[in-house]
Amino acid sequence: MVRIENIRKRFNGRDVLDGANMSVRKGEAVALIGPSGSGKTTLIRAVNGFVVPDSGKVIIRGKGINYRNKESLRHTRKKIGMIYQLFNLVERTSALENVMAGALGRLDNGVNLISSTIGLFNREERDKAMELLKFVGIGDKAFERVDRLSGGQKQRVAIARALMQDPELLLADEPIANLDPKTSRKILELLLRINMEKGITMICVLHHLDAVRDNFSRVVALKNGSICFDGETYTLTHDRIHDIYEFEEDTECLVA
Amino acid sequence: MFGGVSAAYVKRAKGFFLWSLFIIIMILSFRVSSLDIKTLVEGFSYSVSLIKEMFPPDFSSWKKILLLSTETIAIGFWGTILGMTISFPLGFFSAKNTSGNVILYNISKGLVNCLRAIPDILFAIVFVTSLGMGSLAGVLALAFSTVGLLSKFYAEAIESMDRKPVEAIEATGSHGLGVIRHAVLPQVLPLFMGYNLYLLDHNIRAAMVLGLVGAGGLGLELFTQMRSFNYQKAAAILIIIFAIITVIDRVSARLRKDIINGAFLSRENRYKDGLLLLVISVIAMLSLYFIPVNFKEMAYGIPRIWEFLKGMFPPDFSGITVYVNLMLETVGMGISSTFLAVLISIPIGVLSARNVIHAPVIYNIMKEISNFFRAMPELMFALIFVAAVGLGPFAGVLAIAIHTAGFLGKFYAEAIENIDPKPVEAVEATGAKFIQRIRHSVFPQVLSLFNSYNLYILDRNIRASTVMGIVGAGGIGFELVMSMKLFEYQKTATLILIILLTVVLVDWLSSYLRQKVV
Repeated sequence: MVRIENIRKRFNGRDVLDGANMSVRKGEAVALIGPSGSGKTTLIRAVNGFVVPDSGKVIIRGKGINYRNKESLRHTRKKIGMIYQLFNLVERTSALENVMAGALGRLDNGVNLISSTIGLFNREERDKAMELLKFVGIGDKAFERVDRLSGGQKQRVAIARALMQDPELLLADEPIANLDPKTSRKILELLLRINMEKGITMICVLHHLDAVRDNFSRVVALKNGSICFDGETYTLTHDRIHDIYEFEEDTECLVA
Repeated sequence: MFGGVSAAYVKRAKGFFLWSLFIIIMILSFRVSSLDIKTLVEGFSYSVSLIKEMFPPDFSSWKKILLLSTETIAIGFWGTILGMTISFPLGFFSAKNTSGNVILYNISKGLVNCLRAIPDILFAIVFVTSLGMGSLAGVLALAFSTVGLLSKFYAEAIESMDRKPVEAIEATGSHGLGVIRHAVLPQVLPLFMGYNLYLLDHNIRAAMVLGLVGAGGLGLELFTQMRSFNYQKAAAILIIIFAIITVIDRVSARLRKDIINGAFLSRENRYKDGLLLLVISVIAMLSLYFIPVNFKEMAYGIPRIWEFLKGMFPPDFSGITVYVNLMLETVGMGISSTFLAVLISIPIGVLSARNVIHAPVIYNIMKEISNFFRAMPELMFALIFVAAVGLGPFAGVLAIAIHTAGFLGKFYAEAIENIDPKPVEAVEATGAKFIQRIRHSVFPQVLSLFNSYNLYILDRNIRASTVMGIVGAGGIGFELVMSMKLFEYQKTATLILIILLTVVLVDWLSSYLRQKVV
């Protein structure tokens, strides 16, 4: 499904990604871990083209991403859903409208382009957005303005927006970092249920190691811009974790 | 689910009603200001042919233009100085925390608000009728309108200052003036200086058009040349006006920045800035030459102002139906021009936002265009459009729309530059096109701010529409000027009452709606 080959990226004279390689099979759910500044976010942003690598390539369904051609990049993004740490919703509009924005990628020509630009969506898209809001568990909040929702509800809206794209791949950049523990668990359960029921491939950047252990069978760890661990979660021993997070004292308590 | 759907229906019904109301008001406004697609297209082609006739500009009477430009700047300068002098105490009296006396506070605040509601060109008409034509009328008119604006700015600056140093000086047992001198002034003076410069800039621009009613300066010459179809000579004057406005705008913007961040007259700039001040003062003194202050004439003039005020009573209500209709036309012009301004400003605003358009060439050009629209006085645009599309409200609508598109374009661009970039990226990540991203991630964030700006501009445009009649560009202004010229002051009183009533009503309605949209 996704193959990342030898990606390098320099920011302000520092190698953020230094030859990272990984591949994800269709339907798989992978947790991406690593200390702060190890390049996790940069790596997944290279997958949907918000970071243009200096060298190396990202291959999705056998086709390399063409970072130079904006139109082809846009077509690539249509099938990739992205979920953010700070939800990235338009706060002043309703949950429903935010979800429907997920359909914009496929409403990109002729009458559909004009009507979606005016702000009119057809019945099918509307019903679909309602269905998805019900699926993520906030069907009753469809007409509520997003700035009146709680953090967990906001993240559910963002997930519904990503699902609206009918994605083949979901990228989640620390989706639970801004939520309380209970909500975090529920959101993670939701993401994994989407992965299981809909068969959507998922790459999830996470900080909470116990959440990783409980939910993911495969873990990839980044350190100084390259992959330093890639395997089954149960093989991630204490020593290996120490290796990954060395000099990072904060994470000790997470491990314990 | 059910609750959600019924809420949606209620919202839809309410939305339908409001939209219908909006559309009906719009259609009525377009009709009274004869605005439709055909007239717009025609108006555009007429304007283009007028501009063609202006080329090449004829600078043959440059000496006269130069002399008049100096006079114009002098009018603006002395109007500002006089206005500043009156505003300084008035600002303290109308600030809640320095007024010291509730009655004094309310009287000064009421006076300032009244002065602000009256357009400067109306003051000019009053002074021209009572003191005769000439630059003195212009200076006094600008002084009065300056007091309306500047005292409010001063009072706001005083009211928002830090209370702590004031208390500290009071604790030393100082008398009231000592507190003002040592705790208040050091805090507010830089702000005051900034406002003064802004007003100077504003008044020189205003002085350019006061000549239209005979209050001195370049405006009269421009008016005469336009009226006698000497478009090439008029073009020369327009170019000079634009050059002066641009230079003053730039200098004043730079000085304001220096004053606010404390670089003005600081140790390293002290000789340079001192020299600048000296040059300005010398020019100002010399410019007094252009403003013949004839005390004898003033002595005659002041009783005439009194006569003018006395002649207004009792107001003559006989023409009230005609006046109300004219006022409705004026309101319609304000609405149409705002609508047109919004249409023009949306592309200007989006294209001059740095975070949306990543090409500096495009956003800088767009910013310059809105600067130009904003800097040229709207009566000047009106004069040009009257020549291009003929007398009537349509010319006024075009003029106000173009001028205020300069404001809205700037406000929109600033609003867009301040949005949260996160949702924009999220919508881009769904594979949406440029125009969809603007519609679904930028607009929802700025819409309520845009509406609040639009309402503010609507309020302002209705006020501006009341004076368009002075150059024959529609609305109630023509009747107002005629009644003054024919010494029918009782009719003038009725007209002023209708205008003030409408202005107050619109002001109230617009601030009510502004609160609702935010």
